[in-house]
Amino acid sequence: MTGFKGGWVSLVKLFGYAGKTLRVNLASRSFKATPLDPAVARDFLGGRGFNSCSMYRELAPGVDPLGPENKVYLSTGPLVGTMFPTASRFNISAKSPQTGILGDSNAGGHLAAEMKYAGYDQVILEGRSPKPVYVFIDDGEVSLRDASRLAGQDTYEKDRLLKEDLGDERVQTLVVGPAAENGVKFAGVYANLVRAAARTGVGTVLASKGVKAVAFRGTGSVEVADYGRFMRIVDEIEGEVYGHPQYGPRRRMGTTRILLMANEAGFLPTRNYQAGVFEDAEKVSGERLAEEYNVRTRGCFACTIPCSRVYVVKDGEFAGLCGEGPEYEALGSFTSRIGNSDLGFALKANDMCNRLGLDALSASSCIAFAMELHERGLLGGEEADGLDLSWGSPDALTLIERIAYRRGFGDVLADGSKAAAEKLGRGHEYAMQVKGLDLIMADPRGLKGFGLGYAVASRGGDHLRSEPFLELSDDPGVGERMFGVPEATLRLADRGKGKLVSYCEDWNAVIDALEPCKNIMQNMEILTFERASEVIEAATGMKMSADEVRLVGSRIINVERAFNAREGLAREGDTLPPRFLREQLPEGNSRGTVFDLQGNLDDYYTERGWCALTGNPTRETLTRHGLGWVADDLERLGVLTAEEVKD
Amino acid sequence: MRRVTVDAVKCAGCRYCELACSGRRHQMFSPALSRVIVVKDDRHGLDYPVLCHQCQECLPEINCPAGAIKRVDGCLVVGDDCVGCGLCVEACRFGAVKMVDGRPIACDLCGGDPECVKRCPTGALSYLEHDGGYVSAADELDGLQRRLGITG
Repeated sequence: MTGFKGGWVSLVKLFGYAGKTLRVNLASRSFKATPLDPAVARDFLGGRGFNSCSMYRELAPGVDPLGPENKVYLSTGPLVGTMFPTASRFNISAKSPQTGILGDSNAGGHLAAEMKYAGYDQVILEGRSPKPVYVFIDDGEVSLRDASRLAGQDTYEKDRLLKEDLGDERVQTLVVGPAAENGVKFAGVYANLVRAAARTGVGTVLASKGVKAVAFRGTGSVEVADYGRFMRIVDEIEGEVYGHPQYGPRRRMGTTRILLMANEAGFLPTRNYQAGVFEDAEKVSGERLAEEYNVRTRGCFACTIPCSRVYVVKDGEFAGLCGEGPEYEALGSFTSRIGNSDLGFALKANDMCNRLGLDALSASSCIAFAMELHERGLLGGEEADGLDLSWGSPDALTLIERIAYRRGFGDVLADGSKAAAEKLGRGHEYAMQVKGLDLIMADPRGLKGFGLGYAVASRGGDHLRSEPFLELSDDPGVGERMFGVPEATLRLADRGKGKLVSYCEDWNAVIDALEPCKNIMQNMEILTFERASEVIEAATGMKMSADEVRLVGSRIINVERAFNAREGLAREGDTLPPRFLREQLPEGNSRGTVFDLQGNLDDYYTERGWCALTGNPTRETLTRHGLGWVADDLERLGVLTAEEVKD
Repeated sequence: MRRVTVDAVKCAGCRYCELACSGRRHQMFSPALSRVIVVKDDRHGLDYPVLCHQCQECLPEINCPAGAIKRVDGCLVVGDDCVGCGLCVEACRFGAVKMVDGRPIACDLCGGDPECVKRCPTGALSYLEHDGGYVSAADELDGLQRRLGITG
């Protein structure tokens, strides 16, 4: 079932890529390296594109996410390992235990480059090891090593033990924490201790395979097709980044600069999204972190705008706590979302999530869910272990630990808020999730494009598939110019969001495939489709127009949609928690509207060329993307209706 | 003389210098080929780029058993009589010499126009007149950790 029109590029050497895929079978302890298929490189570029394509081809519908037949896919992109600014990221994918559909997560740090230098664009882990192991990929050598000493240790200790075991401080490690080992369904994997790829439970899947860590050591190099041209593009981008108005704030605060902006705009999720304004936002802002806690900044590999902050808590209950981060999502998650005004407490919560290996977003969403139930008199007492569940309660820290070890009430929350409501038999409407994935930190009533993005994202309630930041401009001129619809870039308007979201989804899919940093390349409008076309040719030698680059992004979206359709997902699944559809925000600059779900969905499906009734991609649309083989498969399985199979 | 100096507080550990170094010399990207080596300590959030300081007293030069290491304007030049024994790597008290394909390499200041300095995104590297003493990366990082109050 390849169906690719391969062959035409087979005589051309592909630069940029490491050129190999490594397949590790954990059950038989066997390894196989195969050359990268140039047709796959052209059609899917790398990273998330490679993983989503592989998942569609290799994971049969209905596979148990925690069974040995699920696989973990780790990929990086053709720009990683080069001097392309911020190209440092990897995508890790598997069928998600939290959502039951396509799962993936993405992180930076220094791991992805090391993987390239070790010689691989993609590493696939199959089967299950009967004993705890870690995978060591040392240039061409691959070994499965005993990890019994690592079992149960936190992420920091696992990293230390790995480096001790291998006798090398410079190996790059990807580890799971105790949460993953205990089967918490939103556990992540961690590179450089704090570079978390923690959405959708990819760490849980890795741990279910008996794998505690993957370590890389690479001494190779990455060669680009046209060094001179490539460096001219690098020069241009360096100049644009250094001269950008966001350069200063990002260097100083990273993404935490968003918190006060979100509060001012009235979409800062507060007390489980009951409000969009947090009265103590100033106290927990990125500005305050920068002034009172941060001592220096660090960067991911090849970053020209390093934005990760090292903090030291100097006084109070958490004095002496040091760490790196947090990003806006975790900062907001452990402050406004749970009604907490104590910055030290939020830093501690984030540090605990990193060490225990929990997705900070899902963990805080589950805690906020429990707190709202408590506020409404629906939860408390023995059922919640006698914990204080009032807003901002320090017992949240106890709850984080109980979630990670599935102890007591923590066990109820350890599969996400949707599952928690099911287990409790109440409070479904207060579970702030989409498709089982707990939501991020932006209220869609104040950002309609984001809302549509959450509803249709192929991994569930998350913004990073589309992140339609263009609507933050609130400038109708941008919408008019880019999409012919002025409202597309008005954040409170419900018109034109289909065009906005599909454009941004395609854009982000390309970035997730090439693997530089989305914060810079998308949010700062550096890596446009036009420039991506140029740099793909300079780096890899593949000629591809800007339209063809966008088509790669759209192809990735379509193959992911097809994967989920095959798992039974349809239009009914593209929804938002009822609060956003019925209740207006009580105050602030986003009050007065609700989210128009059906209108926005119709608009989006039309834009995508998907069936408005089912949300399925039609044969015609799939064929236009060179995905006739996917249409064949969906038709064979009876997923596509008679109407949808028309060519 | 002018040397590459390091401001450890500013270094973000992005390793852009390693890429610039290998890129300029080899037209490909490889930290393994770089003459700058960024020492990283994730646990304490610290980074420090190590490169040749053009010391007055060069231990690799003094200790080379083959007499293959000479210095030109303070920079290491390895002659054809190098036997690849690697004693120079051990001799350098800063860890600034490394072996690549059986031959030692160290920073040569790009002939007076160091690429790493030009490319450093944070201004942590400078090319300055500097006669002061140097300390090792480990000592620099210890000092920095104490100054910033980082524990753990």
